[in-house]
Amino acid sequence: MYAMLFESVSKRFVMGHDRARSFQDLMLRTLRPGSHTPREILWALKDVSFMIERGEAVAIVGRNGSGKSTCLKLMTRILTPTQGSVDIQGRVAGLLELGAGFHPELTGRENIYLNGALMGLSRREIAHRFDEIVAFAELERFVDAQVKFYSSGMTMRLGFSIAICVNPDILLIDEVLAVGDQSFQEKCLERIEQVRANGVTIIFVSHALETVRALCERVIWLDQGQLREDGACDVVVDDYVAAVHAHEEVAVE
Amino acid sequence: MRGLLLERSDQQRTATTLFDRVAEVIHRRELLGVLVSRDLKLRYKNSVLGFLWSLINPLLLMIVFTIVFTIMIPDLHVPNFPVFVLCGVLPWNFFSTAIISSIPSISGNGHLIKKVYFPLEVLPLSTLLAHLVNFLLAFIVLIGMIVAFGIPLTVNLLWLPLVILTQLLFTGGVALVLSTTNVFYRDTGVIMEVLMQAWFFLTPVFYPLELLPEMTVVRGIELPVQRMVYILNPMASIIASYRAILYGSTLGSPPHAPALDFFARTLVTAALAFIVGLWIFNRYRERFAEEV
Ligand SMILES: Nc1ncnc2c1ncn2[C@@H]1O[C@H](COP(=O)(O)OP(=O)(O)OP(=O)(O)O)[C@@H](O)[C@H]1O
Ligand SMILES: [Mg+2]
Repeated sequence: MYAMLFESVSKRFVMGHDRARSFQDLMLRTLRPGSHTPREILWALKDVSFMIERGEAVAIVGRNGSGKSTCLKLMTRILTPTQGSVDIQGRVAGLLELGAGFHPELTGRENIYLNGALMGLSRREIAHRFDEIVAFAELERFVDAQVKFYSSGMTMRLGFSIAICVNPDILLIDEVLAVGDQSFQEKCLERIEQVRANGVTIIFVSHALETVRALCERVIWLDQGQLREDGACDVVVDDYVAAVHAHEEVAVE
Repeated sequence: MRGLLLERSDQQRTATTLFDRVAEVIHRRELLGVLVSRDLKLRYKNSVLGFLWSLINPLLLMIVFTIVFTIMIPDLHVPNFPVFVLCGVLPWNFFSTAIISSIPSISGNGHLIKKVYFPLEVLPLSTLLAHLVNFLLAFIVLIGMIVAFGIPLTVNLLWLPLVILTQLLFTGGVALVLSTTNVFYRDTGVIMEVLMQAWFFLTPVFYPLELLPEMTVVRGIELPVQRMVYILNPMASIIASYRAILYGSTLGSPPHAPALDFFARTLVTAALAFIVGLWIFNRYRERFAEEV
């Protein structure tokens, strides 16, 4: 049984600077038709197919802008594919990019309830897990402080803690661990290992290749939106490192 | 555990028809509740004073209009003028503040939209409901005024939920459209502030509709002004309904039920506005996470 199935998925973005962003802008553009620039289209993902089995730990690697975050957003249904189809089996939770979805004016406690509700938990379920979430994030002293007074590491701790405590079937992590201090990073990795052992599917985006090697058995390498390689962790990471070095050498020359 | 599993598979479905959308929002009503209380918390910072502060504006308007139309321009002859005005100002304030604050409800919540999937309709709708709470609290003041002016509280008050529902549907429809528009054109709010001002004067909020001529001839064309206001402006009909059940008529007769055919037309218009709002929202919703 699979957890995630991508079938020839493509995602197209229309670059923002070519479009009127306000009515004022729209009016100016209609008045001066000569100023029209052709729409610039960007394929963030192009014809990407893969299947992730239930319980697998998969990393996605690739250079900046290669489409990793876009991939994860498709996995949560935040984005919908332009072409192809994405099939998700199970509850997805995760941390997408830096800055969890917190409201700075609300307290940690209020944000936990808000985030839990966004993820589809009932009040009772959140109340049930509340202490666990706070304890894991080690933020007991700060739950009733507004999140705007949190450090970025503390915000990330809380976000990670919520994501992992809602018992998802599929856990997505996009680069966020880097903000945590050493001890919290280790604690997170330990916890990820633990939920993995319980059969949770892990999809991990990181530029920290050592962590990727430690955590995942399979790696998907994206290159300019295309799937370059998909296979055993050591093989793909080695190829990826080699390609990055080759690229650097070309750049130096 | 079993229940949780069922709920999960249910969340999986990407709902696309309008009926599915409504079902999904109803299914996530708990989220709606959390968002409403977040809204109220942020607005009032947990203080009673914050709520009282929100009453200042309608009361001030009431006082100003009362002074203008009973002392400065005294030939309007509307009995119990303060109650008459408040019956218009409160629903109007509810409408305009709910609209203005729901406009950035999608574009201003990028931090949530880009993080988790949830039915985005709950964002403008929760703003609307937070303002409803406010409106209902303000109603206590209105009822106090009605009693103080000796206007009878009649059985027609039972119409109130239906009138409020009508207003909610209409306001919700407008809010859904404008919050969508603002994602793509970020000056929607600025434009609407101005249009709202115009809309306010075109709605019989502080003057009775009967003040308008029944017919006017503009460039040789006969315009039935009074009927046009009702037909083109659902807010006029909605405020007229509030006045009918709470205030009565400007001729001094006690509160009465709104005319059935008139009210039915208003309700249908409001429901249509809501459906159109949902449809437009649904048509563009998939692009929201890319644009915010
Ligand atoms: N909402 C958007 N509108 C327009 N273009 C976008 C949008 N989101 C992403 N892109 C473009 O899509 C491409 C892929 O972006 P993505 O965020 O997926 O990269 P990434 O692999 O996560 O990079 P990084 O390693 O820097 O996090 C980029 O070129 C980016 O500019
Ligand atoms: Mg990224």
